[in-house]
Amino acid sequence: MRIGVFVCHCGSNIGGTVDCAQVAAQAALYPDVVYATDPMYTCAEPGQAAIEAAIHEHQLDGVVVASCSPRMHEPTFRKTVERAGLNPYMFEMANIREHVSWIGRDIAANTHKAAELVRLAVEKLRQNSPLRSQEFPITRRVLIIGGGVAGIQAALDCAEGGIPVVLVEREATIGGKMAKLDKTFPTVDCSACILGPKMVDVAQHPKISLYAHAEIEEISGYVGNFTVKIRKRATYVDWDKCTGCGTCTEKCPSKTSYDHFNEGIAKTTAITIAFPQAIPKKAVINKDFCRQLSGKKCGVCAKVCPTQAIDFAMEDTFVTENVGSIVVATGYDLMDWTVYGQYGHGRYPDVITSLAYERLMNASGPTQGHIVRPSDGKEPKSVVFVQCVGSRDPAIGRPYCSGFCCMYTAKQAILTKDHLPDSQSYVFYMDIRAPGKMYDEFTRRAQEEYGTQYIRGRVSQIFPDGLGQMTVLGMDTLLGRPVEIKADLVVLAVGIEASKGARELAEKLRISYDAYGFFLESHVKLKPVETNTAGVFLAGVCQGAKDIPASVAQGSAAAAKVLTLFAKETLASNPQIAQVVLKRCIGCGKCLRCCPYGAIKSSQVRGEEKAEVIATMCQGCGLCTATCPQGAIQLAHATDNQILAEVDTLCQL
Amino acid sequence: MSALANEERRIVGFLCNWCSYGGADTAGVARANQPTDLRIIRVPCSGRVNPLFVVKALLNGADGVLVSGCHPRDCHYGSGNFYARRRLEVLKRFLPILGIDPQRFSYTWVSASEGSRWQQVVTRFTEEIHALEPAPRFEDVEPLEKALTLTQEKHRPLGVGKQDWLAKLKEAISDKLADLDCVLGWQQGRDLLHSVPLFIQSADDLQKLRCDATCHNNLVRYLPDFKGRKVGIIVRGCEAKSLVQLLQEGIINREELVIFALPCQGLLDLPLVEEALGRYQKLEGLEITDSALKLRVDGKDVTLATADYLQSRCLSCPNDTPVLADYPIGEFTGESATTAQCPELAFLDSLSLTERLGFWRACLSRCILCHACRNSCPMCVCRDQCIAESREPHWQSAKASVKEKFFFQIIHALHLAGRCTGCGQCQANCPMGIPIFALRAHLNRVISELFDGYQAGLDPKAVPPLLTYAQEEANIQERSWE
Repeated sequence: MRIGVFVCHCGSNIGGTVDCAQVAAQAALYPDVVYATDPMYTCAEPGQAAIEAAIHEHQLDGVVVASCSPRMHEPTFRKTVERAGLNPYMFEMANIREHVSWIGRDIAANTHKAAELVRLAVEKLRQNSPLRSQEFPITRRVLIIGGGVAGIQAALDCAEGGIPVVLVEREATIGGKMAKLDKTFPTVDCSACILGPKMVDVAQHPKISLYAHAEIEEISGYVGNFTVKIRKRATYVDWDKCTGCGTCTEKCPSKTSYDHFNEGIAKTTAITIAFPQAIPKKAVINKDFCRQLSGKKCGVCAKVCPTQAIDFAMEDTFVTENVGSIVVATGYDLMDWTVYGQYGHGRYPDVITSLAYERLMNASGPTQGHIVRPSDGKEPKSVVFVQCVGSRDPAIGRPYCSGFCCMYTAKQAILTKDHLPDSQSYVFYMDIRAPGKMYDEFTRRAQEEYGTQYIRGRVSQIFPDGLGQMTVLGMDTLLGRPVEIKADLVVLAVGIEASKGARELAEKLRISYDAYGFFLESHVKLKPVETNTAGVFLAGVCQGAKDIPASVAQGSAAAAKVLTLFAKETLASNPQIAQVVLKRCIGCGKCLRCCPYGAIKSSQVRGEEKAEVIATMCQGCGLCTATCPQGAIQLAHATDNQILAEVDTLCQL
Repeated sequence: MSALANEERRIVGFLCNWCSYGGADTAGVARANQPTDLRIIRVPCSGRVNPLFVVKALLNGADGVLVSGCHPRDCHYGSGNFYARRRLEVLKRFLPILGIDPQRFSYTWVSASEGSRWQQVVTRFTEEIHALEPAPRFEDVEPLEKALTLTQEKHRPLGVGKQDWLAKLKEAISDKLADLDCVLGWQQGRDLLHSVPLFIQSADDLQKLRCDATCHNNLVRYLPDFKGRKVGIIVRGCEAKSLVQLLQEGIINREELVIFALPCQGLLDLPLVEEALGRYQKLEGLEITDSALKLRVDGKDVTLATADYLQSRCLSCPNDTPVLADYPIGEFTGESATTAQCPELAFLDSLSLTERLGFWRACLSRCILCHACRNSCPMCVCRDQCIAESREPHWQSAKASVKEKFFFQIIHALHLAGRCTGCGQCQANCPMGIPIFALRAHLNRVISELFDGYQAGLDPKAVPPLLTYAQEEANIQERSWE
């Protein structure tokens, strides 16, 4: 074999703490290495051209690049060597940046380590063989999980692009958090007016099938061919018959049901339609509050329903859908702010969340948009907004910024003045984070045109003063003195957390999540909507805090990724899969038992039972290779011999 | 040796591509300073890590080995790390019996976002390895020439020498013989003291049948060769377990088998008897009773106390009743109240780690690589495809070094993890008398500890513990690195 080694300086990223020239000089002495050099930037156009030139000039049949993580540039360099006529798998990388130069400053130790890592890559490469992909057909349908604005945008873009969409929403209606909002910053236009038409488009689009009040039960398969089992949670209303007329909700005698859509600021009936513009506009029974379902006599809704849609015997049902790609847009939930004892543990009715305040201001909300105190129904004269409740607070394990609270608080202060011209708003803030287009201007308007008093500092305590108002104690850190404000209403800008059930969903999807449950993108800058599981993309706040414009943009970006994936009829399979050495296989079936994908089947070869790998199903985990006692099933590119060569080399160096 | 030999230790890491390798990258991006000793081998999944890679590294001089994968339930491939967790935990508990400090091996879970956790893991593990002495080179270990001191206890009456059921057995076989291709039994070998397998196809063959304490071959070993043909087999307690295990693995079919079951009376430890007799020309008489072995050797009468010349595992065997039988013949004494303990294992347990390594080095220097241990093992179903003799994959070099011999025993033992039924053939057939059964017995102990008393060969429908997993492992305490 004739191997070329390229030890990248990566500017000073590697060159600063690794003597790249010496590594290259040492590499030149390794077995089969006929050429070694240390370019400044190997991944840049001249660097790649130099690899191609070297392949031709030195008749190389294998290349090692020692540079950054293979998770970053392995695909890049595979293409490079392929352009020069080599099989793309006759290539190995040594990670001497993330694993060497960036984690230590000792040049001697780093250089030594880098040289050894190059040696490992050379030894592995010496055992590589050319691999070729197969083409396999794909199901050109997409599953979108979550019908908030990001999911809606992704669904519409995919559907417009000609891809059938399966949209699964946990709640009874799509719309997500945006549907609850009154107005949106920085234009102060009506949320329902801009989201509503999109929701209708979803309902009417012939390529979108919507499962509301449904959850993902199981996901199996792989990019191009996922099988998804969807649990349709019982609604106790036959949606095929329900016309959304609302008669049942008027007559229902159980009127103390927790109103999820209105964030608990009002009570609702046991059978509800979330809001007038709900999509689908269908009734759902909350079985915890329904008299009939609690074993008492009732059945009023069934009697008044003009279409006999009520079905108290309904159970969860399951449907299975086949899709080729998945977009996850599960959004967020508010963190449980009642952990803050200093804000009253949630005991004071006039201390509410900002999302509940949105419902108070909303014309379709329980108060028809009149801002009143939940405690006594009076208009507040003094409203205090407290920012960063559960954001940027390492004390409760939430050091991250929720991103959009500064902006909506400014909006709510402006709207409060619009609704109640006599009122005075105060905002306690840590920093005003308003980096978007027209954002900073917007927060200034809140202060300058609407007279909102911004106080830089945190609130230390909120308690009732006994005279009907709340006392808010805080610190003005700019003036360096304590502040005390009498408030009729306190609105907490409660921080966000990953949607409930996000971790469980991630496990079903086999994607990663960070310490807070937000899904992990493939690369923080360069692959912000991809995940490490091929064919699964992210949109919206499930990946991290972002506002509506960013969520919509990411929804579209995810849709673009889906359309790119589906631009072809077939996909190239990963050739790094398990291969059976027929003569060694004794047909014991241990590999069949543990393959996570069912990608191994038993077949008869000349009358003998043998394992057979289904090439398009194998994902290349290598569990079978570690299981087979005879070593009769070998994972290409991570064979026993390759790993043994690496182990032996390390132990002999 | 490395230029930094005096400052660095050799630490090998196996990291899964999706989580831990990514976590190490994240640590790098965050410029999280780490010791430089670790060399990372990237594997697709922690499930790809064959425990033998770890042993190979440790035996070849690595000071430490670290395996890191995705957190449980977070595996990119769904379940790879669940399997890895079981196999690596078994390995960790296996290492001490070899004389390898289990602190030299660790496994953990680091996700792609946990850069700082990775930094902690590397730093902590490297510090721990530095706190140990450099790993001893196997070649430099002082061989420990120490005779086994075995304390043997008899747990149940063996009834050695009883033969009143032999006629009944012959009758039962004779009744079924017409329907069977053959029946596997024993016959006398080169003299009265030695028996060899007998493949009964006719009434004449049946007359040669012998069933006594000299019949130590586990006939189950031959069953896979008869797959597709209907055969009968004579089994005793431990052999029935081997049979059940092969059924469980689908290597043989129940409907092709007729099982004649005997109560086990214990088996003679032939190397011991031969040693007592010395060289002899002719063995003219042999009578076996529960108390005495009466032999007539070269015209002289020799009497030995039976209990001193039985295989140790028979003395401690708790149960003579086969778990599976079509035709049970004779009287079974059933289960003894006392738990069985392998005396070789008790001996090894009494040694220090270094002594154990030295003990194995001394023992295995006698190994002649005849592979009788493997060839007589009923669970070694790979036969000609054993990785000990292959180049693809090339696990073992052709060098007949003591280390390679030791590694072969480790391969055999680990391939038996969760499968060994404890028949002891490996040791009984070793011509050099190496107490290799202890390695298997220790693994059986580990499997039993980890998987709620699981024993191989009891239930044909059970799933072997290393071919399955539980999302929450009751007995595996994962270590915290915080």
